[in-house]
Formats: sequence, structure tokens, C-alpha cells
Amino acid sequence: MIHFFLDPFQYVFMQRAFLAAVVIGVLCAALGAFVVLRRMAVVGHALTHSALPGLVIAYLMGANLVFGALIATILTAFGIGFFACEDSVYEDTLVGMVPNVMFAFGILLISTSKSFRDLFSMLFGNILGITNGDLHLIMILAVVSLAALFLFYKELKLSSVDIDYARTIGMPVKFLHYGILLFLSLSVVVGIQAVGTVLTNALLVVPVAAARLWTDRLGRLIFLSCFFSVLSAIGGIYVSYYFGTASGASIVIFCFVIFMVSWLYKFVKERKIFKGYSNG
Amino acid sequence: MRFPYCQHRHTLPDPESLALDIKGLGVSYSTEGKLALKDFDLSVPVGSIMALVGPNGAGKSTLFKAICGLLPIRTGGIRIFGRCLTECHHRVVYLPQKSRIDWQFPVSVLDLVIMGRYVYLGWFQRPKLSDIQEAKKALREMNILDLANRQISKLSGGQQQRVLIARALAQNADLLLLDEPMNAVDTATRQLVADVLHKIKDQGKTAIVATHYYDQQEGRYDGAIFLRDGQRMRDGLTHQESSHKGCDCE
Repeated sequence: MIHFFLDPFQYVFMQRAFLAAVVIGVLCAALGAFVVLRRMAVVGHALTHSALPGLVIAYLMGANLVFGALIATILTAFGIGFFACEDSVYEDTLVGMVPNVMFAFGILLISTSKSFRDLFSMLFGNILGITNGDLHLIMILAVVSLAALFLFYKELKLSSVDIDYARTIGMPVKFLHYGILLFLSLSVVVGIQAVGTVLTNALLVVPVAAARLWTDRLGRLIFLSCFFSVLSAIGGIYVSYYFGTASGASIVIFCFVIFMVSWLYKFVKERKIFKGYSNG
Repeated sequence: MRFPYCQHRHTLPDPESLALDIKGLGVSYSTEGKLALKDFDLSVPVGSIMALVGPNGAGKSTLFKAICGLLPIRTGGIRIFGRCLTECHHRVVYLPQKSRIDWQFPVSVLDLVIMGRYVYLGWFQRPKLSDIQEAKKALREMNILDLANRQISKLSGGQQQRVLIARALAQNADLLLLDEPMNAVDTATRQLVADVLHKIKDQGKTAIVATHYYDQQEGRYDGAIFLRDGQRMRDGLTHQESSHKGCDCE
């Protein structure tokens, strides 16, 4: 049995994948908690899809793909934030429009290139193919983002639960909103390494949705989201290793299984409570 | 080392000043839109409880939002204890009628009330034991200490109102702006709110209570300011001057 768990670790690329999975899982889930609670999950979806043209341009220029994705997502995040603040276009209209336009732009760029071997990993991720350089960059982005979350935790909590009160005590809520968008862009870029542009939003949303079924306290919610996210990332890698499946899709499906188990637990628990009331 | 949220540091009040001094105030919801408040003057002395009376749409909430900085001022000016708002965010608390609070958010009642202390903490500081004790004291004053660990989504409408007043008390503000606090709550809560208002008045604090139904006996106000269509209707009345026992502005 022990060999089942240790076998993958004999390969350096698998060691890198596990380390990346833990870092990506913690970052996406911790930030995902605020993204979900601030009803910004659709913004996350827009940003993940917007990374594609950045990735393609970086690929065509021979530059680092992570930087390409980072620039594209940050520009999109701030573009959405700016136009939404101007009130000329509704934010949900923007987030409905932007990902499709950016994704189409990415596909257009891809179609101009005759050979495009890395398209599959861009779209669906390849955590097993992460290089040392990628790993270092992921760790730097994660440390910066998690440090910011820790430092501004109190402010993010208040501006999420009661934005008007936050404004009346002089808290710069716009700065916090742009801050969330910036760090969301960073975690999207990190997440793309694991599960690709199409599936990254799942890493932000699904672990939090599962954790929300277990707790009604923010601290515990973040901790549980991180735990579920890391568990699914590691579980997905094992599934991918032993069954030869796509790593990104395996991680997301593993995560969804955790959500379903959590939902079933809550469903059964509430039915028991209901029975208790009707009997008593 | 403290890093307050606003660029200005909290300053002491001007000793001889009014709690609220408004002159020629004009406020609108957009930069070019119609003024929701026009040429509005108001002086509220320290340690008084005033009723702000007017029908729906008269501009009561607009006035409160302008005082606490949620709406930009087009004309005139507001001084709070002789200072501009950016110097005394901690002295003003606004309790909106329809708050945009996310009641599904995963925090407890105590967590929400502790948020009333954030204005003193500023950036990077975490609530200390003294802040938790202030929050518990406020919950005790509102008779809801037993709800401290309850998730905020599991509160009734009246309990929500009590929790928000507890947060305002935890902030220890000197000027309280309460928008229809007696609306849609039971008699016990209405009585409790009136008692708490008079308790804080005894501590030298000032409160303005917006209401569309002026009931002098229930609120025990020191005076009333009448608003209609964004303009002041007549001078504030003291309760001796007013012959009203109840006055519905609808």
C-alpha cells in the first residue's frame, strides 16, 4: 500500500507536481473564499479565459508563458473594474462579454500559427510538466498573494460583509476591490499551470462551495477550502499518474467529488434534524 | 504604530462646537442630476436627541449619507464637532434603514459587532481583548449577549436591528445617525432602542433619528427637524413647543 503512495515520488517531475499542487491549492482556495463570498465567481471565470491570448502571444514571442498570462489577466481585471465603476456598462454584462472576446482572440492567434503543440496544456493544464522556473514563479506569486490576504484579512472581511459601513469608517473600498482583482489575476495565472484556462475557475469556486457546506465561520471556511483544494490537487495527480488521465481534469473532478460528498453529508444531516423535530 | 484608514489622523473635537453644523448643503446622487437636498441648514447641539421627520423620499437618508461621506457634497459644508468628516470618522456612525449587509456571510454576531472597533484599529492591527470586551458590552446593552456566537443569517429582523445598534455602540461614536430604527421591529425592541438612546444621551452623545412617524412620547426627542422634497420645512421644535403627540408624514 505504501508503494502506491510513494511510487510517484521517485520521479523529479512528480515531486515538482505535488509541491506545485499544494501551493496552487492553498492560494486558489484562500483567495477563492473571498471571490465566492463577494459574488465575484463570474469575474474569476472571465479572467481565466482572458489569459489565453496572453499565453499565445508569449508563446509566439518565445517569452515566459506565465508572464503573458499575468499581463493579460491583470489588464482584463482592471479593465472590468474600471468600466464597471464608470457605470456605463453593467459589470455582469462585461464579465459575460470579455471572456468570450478574449478567448476568441486567443483562438484567432492560435489559428495564425501552423504548429501549436502546447495548446492542449494551455487550455487544460499540465501540472506534471511544470519546470523548476515555473515552480519558483508560482511560489513567489503565492507568497505575495497569501501575505496580502493575511495583512488585509480584516478589511476584506468587513468590505465583503458590509461595504457601506466600511466606507463610512473611511476604508478605501475601491482600493480593496482592485486589490482583490489583482490577486485574483495572480491566482488565475498560478491555477492555469495546474488545470488550464478552461478549468481554473473550478479551483477557485468548488473547494469553497464544498467548505461552505461544513462551516459558517470565515476562518474555518478558508482553512477547509485550502484542505479540500490541496486534497483534490494531490488526489487528481495520483489519478492522472495511475490511470493516465489528463491531470487538470482529474483534479477538478476529484474536487467535485469532495463537493458532492459534502453536499450528501449536509443533506443527510438536515434530514436527521428534520426527523428529530417531527418526532419530538 | 497606527495606520488609520483615512489619510487624516483622528483629531480631538473643537470644545465649543456643535455636534453637527450644516450650512447651505446641496447633495445629488450624480454629478449633474437634480439636487436631492437643497440649501439645507442644520445645527444640532451636543448631547441632544433629534427626530428627522419626513415622508419617504423627503431626503432623510440622503442627508445621513452626506453626513457620513457616502454621497459627495455639491454645495455648502458639514462640520462634525467642529471638524470635517475625514478627521473624525470614528465619531460618526450611520445605521441605514436598508443596509447592504450580506446576512449570509459566514461570521458570528460577535464578529460583526467587533467590526465596530475597526475604525480605531486601522490597517494591519487585529482586534485585541479590550475590543472584544467593548463588543460584548454593547451586546449586553442590547440584551443579545446570548446571541454572540450565532451565525448572522440565523437572526430575525428585530435581532438584526439590535446587532447593528450594538455595533454602533461598540464604535463608541459621539454622533449616531439612525435611519428608521423603530421600523418593522417589535414593541420591546422599540422600547429598548429608546432607552439606549437616552442612556447614550446621558453620556453626552448626540443622536439623530430619521422617522416618517413622529411620536414624541415614544422617542422622547429633544426636538424635530421636518423635511419635504429635500428642503427643511420649519424650525426644529422642542417637545414643549410641539403640540403633536403623533404626526404621520405619509
